[in-house]
Amino acid sequence: MPLWKNLSVIRKVVQLLAFLFLVYGSVFVGFYSADKLSGAFPVLACAYDAKTADYCVLIPLQHQFGHLLGPAINAGAFGLSVIMPILTTLATFIILFVLLNKAFCGWLCPLGFFQEVIGMIGQKLRFNRTDSLDDNLVDRIRPAKWLMLGLLVVLFPLASGMGFVGHELGDPFCKICPSRILTSLAAGQLNQLYIDTSSTGYMILSIIADTMFGLILVLSLSMRQPFCRICPMLAMHALFRKVGLVKLVKNYTPRCEKCGLCSKACPMDIREIHTSKEKDILFPDCTLCGRCVEFCPDKGVMAMKYAVIPIKVSDPQYFKERNKAQKAWEGKQKPSRRVKKG
Amino acid sequence: MKIKVLAGVMLAVALFSFTAQAAMSWAPAPAKHGHGGHGGRHAAKTFMLHDGVGAELSLINPKLSVMPMQGEHGRVTVKSTGMDNYHALLATRSDGKLYESAVRYVYMFGKPSGESPSLLIKHAKAALEIKPAPLAREHWRYYSNTEAVFVVSYKGKPLANTTVLLKTANGSDAVLQTDVAGKLIVALPEDFSIIKSGRMGNRPSEFLLTANYAEGEQRFTTTFSSAYHINPEHWQSTELGLATVVAGMLLGGLITVRSRRRKEK
Repeated sequence: MPLWKNLSVIRKVVQLLAFLFLVYGSVFVGFYSADKLSGAFPVLACAYDAKTADYCVLIPLQHQFGHLLGPAINAGAFGLSVIMPILTTLATFIILFVLLNKAFCGWLCPLGFFQEVIGMIGQKLRFNRTDSLDDNLVDRIRPAKWLMLGLLVVLFPLASGMGFVGHELGDPFCKICPSRILTSLAAGQLNQLYIDTSSTGYMILSIIADTMFGLILVLSLSMRQPFCRICPMLAMHALFRKVGLVKLVKNYTPRCEKCGLCSKACPMDIREIHTSKEKDILFPDCTLCGRCVEFCPDKGVMAMKYAVIPIKVSDPQYFKERNKAQKAWEGKQKPSRRVKKG
Repeated sequence: MKIKVLAGVMLAVALFSFTAQAAMSWAPAPAKHGHGGHGGRHAAKTFMLHDGVGAELSLINPKLSVMPMQGEHGRVTVKSTGMDNYHALLATRSDGKLYESAVRYVYMFGKPSGESPSLLIKHAKAALEIKPAPLAREHWRYYSNTEAVFVVSYKGKPLANTTVLLKTANGSDAVLQTDVAGKLIVALPEDFSIIKSGRMGNRPSEFLLTANYAEGEQRFTTTFSSAYHINPEHWQSTELGLATVVAGMLLGGLITVRSRRRKEK
């Protein structure tokens, strides 16, 4: 299969370019470009990275909840100066989000790309990959992203601003975000990889951050997208997914019941893509990577559309070639130790 | 409370003594009631102009609109302009032979200006200028034991091999020189005598850069002043961070092996 026809290869190229832009972009587009571009980008691009071209929406949101809304609630003084910055941040996020919807996750996020690259290394090192997580485990993990958004992005910063909890929890998601460590390391900075001994709270948060970064490094070798599953940005995207122009649609056929290749291909283990009879199959956990469309063997059953324009439609010929290319890439999987013994 | 007042007085004394022998320059006025904290983002900020008798004062906003300012006994209060981002607090004075300027960049909160600080930095505020390259942005400050970069320019052109004096409120000084491209690298000294653990417990100090230049009979002097903070490396250990990442990797390995064995069973 020619590489230019392979949607996953095209996506990797876009991800690489986005990574370079978001991690090193200010070198090319100016140090203050975040002020110009958005300052509220819908992916985990980090302001602690001294070379970033733009940074993530969760940073201003945490600051605004902590430094504006919290004190305003305490003082009982709500004014436009409190509401407008939050609305501006959300409006900036939504304007961008409408353009690409959840594809920001699957096509542009630096941390998502990093996990995929580690996964590819894992495949080449012949680690036995866990193709799909157990359904029960997936169900248990799913609420975590809402907790991350609700607690770490909204409630704790707000409580910190109101004086109920310490300053440590003023921007708790940034304190534990693995993308902060990744992007600053990629920009040549070691200053975000630390254990903070200034207080118990900071120490706990920095231990969580570093442990989670180590976990992601190893788990990504054998598991698909471990952090994406609990990412608050995924939850934030899920809230607004109906307004995005990129859509994932399905024309259900009875053959879907027996197939299930789409959900097997899904890196987020969304088994509902396979069982759903709905037209709109953009589920909260979806990152719009398009693998389900690529691995659907039936013509026109699944499609990724930009508004009404089809970008990628499932096709048996493409499926055959893509499947072959995937097998060639993966090579023969090494049987596990126990299977060998048996 | 008494400790806070004492620390404020000590900081004020340090700031005044440090500017006493320098050229016209800006420094923050001593706080009357501790620091403003985050709740006071939109509050006015007060600065002292040292040795600035007869100087013209102005504030340049991010869109380059110039607002004249009034000082009282060298004390200037900058109120919110309603516009977010850096503003330049400028003092200029000339007797026909000596042209003096003092620049300080002040971050003010308000509505997004839609302008990058590079516009304000690039804008000619005086013939001789020390321009930050770049100014701090989100999650970035001047820290001790780090290098800050500036460009010294005269009438908009970089000034090569020019001597610049560095003085800090903590008592350090150094004689620095620009390179052929007018670039000045300032190694901010590790000169805080009292270091508490954590960002919140430490007050920033001040550094001042002074450059002089002469063309014919005309002499030019400019100063740039800014706060700098204690480097967080005093309470943030990279070694421990690395060790924790390794521990996380081991934990990841353990989880992988356990889940695989469970699956094989």
